[in-house]
Amino acid sequence: MKIRTKKQTDNPYKQNYLSGPKILTIVLLIALGVSLNQIPWTEDLVHPGGVESLQLFVGSLSNLDYSPSFLYIAFKASLQTLIFALCGLSLALLIGIPLGIISSGNIGLPKKTGKIIVFLTRIFLAFLRSIHELVWAWFFIAAIGLSPIAAIWALGINYAGILGRIFSDLLSDVPEEPLLSLRSTGASEWQVFLYGRFPMALSDMTSYIFYRFECAIRSSAILSFVGISGLGMQIELALDDVNFGQVWILLIFLCILILLVDQWSNLIRKSLS
Amino acid sequence: MKKMRLILTTFEERTGQAGSYFSHQHLSLAVFLGLLIFSWSSVLNDDMSHGGRGLDQSAFDSMVKFLGKLLGLNSETPPAYLDISLWVSTANLAAETLVMSVLAIWLASVSVIFTVLFTARNIIFGDSALFTSFVFKFIFYMIRFLYLITRAVPELVWAMILVFFLTPGIVPGVVALAIHNFGILGKLTAELIENMDQRSIRSLRINGAGPIQIIFYGVLPNIIPQFLTYMLYRWEVIIRTTVVVGFISAGGLGREFRLFMSWLQYDRVLLILIWYLILVLFVDLVSESMRKIVRS
Repeated sequence: MKIRTKKQTDNPYKQNYLSGPKILTIVLLIALGVSLNQIPWTEDLVHPGGVESLQLFVGSLSNLDYSPSFLYIAFKASLQTLIFALCGLSLALLIGIPLGIISSGNIGLPKKTGKIIVFLTRIFLAFLRSIHELVWAWFFIAAIGLSPIAAIWALGINYAGILGRIFSDLLSDVPEEPLLSLRSTGASEWQVFLYGRFPMALSDMTSYIFYRFECAIRSSAILSFVGISGLGMQIELALDDVNFGQVWILLIFLCILILLVDQWSNLIRKSLS
Repeated sequence: MKKMRLILTTFEERTGQAGSYFSHQHLSLAVFLGLLIFSWSSVLNDDMSHGGRGLDQSAFDSMVKFLGKLLGLNSETPPAYLDISLWVSTANLAAETLVMSVLAIWLASVSVIFTVLFTARNIIFGDSALFTSFVFKFIFYMIRFLYLITRAVPELVWAMILVFFLTPGIVPGVVALAIHNFGILGKLTAELIENMDQRSIRSLRINGAGPIQIIFYGVLPNIIPQFLTYMLYRWEVIIRTTVVVGFISAGGLGREFRLFMSWLQYDRVLLILIWYLILVLFVDLVSESMRKIVRS
């Protein structure tokens, strides 16, 4: 640390010359250039008839499908989306909380085996969250057949990976001073966790769960792509029928659902912080 | 009694909860639990799930069987992941996926940079506003609304809509990812400007700087490091989603994944999955090291 400060005082211009953000900007610009080169610019980006269908799509805003039977379908699909999101999230909590607690490495596991267990749990969590929930859903459907349970498993597994990681971070980032006072009264590491770490991290954890709830709605809407009923499936059906009036209604339903959950979770997170 | 009430009121003032002990936190929790019970009961009673198919022994057996198929056991031909030429051809697709993700994050970031200044509350409203005309207030609400809509609709749905207009390939996937991340990145960056240290703006203003000068010398230098971090964070998310968008827009690994899933060639699917994981790991590592560069 001392050497570093000395270097800076020796040559005050050096840091400005190639600072971190500048290097990063150059790297990112090169990446952009290489990537732009990969687009087939010579071919038509908009396919024949594309402009007309765009006009049709925007034009059908004045031609929305307000019929009660369709509104009922849209409402039912929104409800199903909400249901799958909630079930998936609760499964994720069941898997994610224990794994997150283990991988935070603060519950008084024996030293050597504990390290191995923590490492393996972290790898496992990383694996769970690396694969997108839709890919998981497709695997589960291929394995156990078309069933809402497949969607719930898929959401649950992916979200368990994310929640576990965040929970373990939150649990190890709590301030140390209150824990010290617990330790000084002779509490074991497990007791420190139970009476110190966990209660202190709980409000942040709840807040994050509600943030994830909002994401789960979006995810469960797209899970319909693999054939599970919900808003995404209805959108796909309406698009296949080139019935843009229905697509708009479904999109409005999706936006309203997400907005409601968004407002709710914001309310809770504000009251928790 | 009076003393007791005094203690109670101070407690309420301290906790900021009005009146009863039944706060809206408890109400929210109750509603959440109620919704949870309702959801599980409706899923388990649903005809489609056959009273919980997917949770019993037969489901476990079929999962094991599926895993065997993924690994290419019990098939006449050797599994795909032992064939070097297939590894190479899938690598090309992985590169295409990477290109898609880079383009998407760039498109999103550039459009955010051009719009975000008009969506920060402290720049449009209040005493220290840089742009005071009502036109800018109108633009503020317009772009905020745009962020809201683009954020609310998932990238897969954007892709479904976009393939109606754009030629399938890299482009619709990139645009779909960019639209969704435009909303997320825009909201995050607007909050960044609102929460940044306002003193630099004030001191520039006191010294007679105009709005443009304040933006270039006061606002942008303040937010760029954090903005780059957000960009990298979104890039990590995008690389995971690019495969999924590829199902629809027919670009990169997603296209092949969809094909081989429908052809039931699960050993090829496994190969694609391995490349997918390599890609995710690569992006995570690159983004982590870049974030260290930014912080230094």
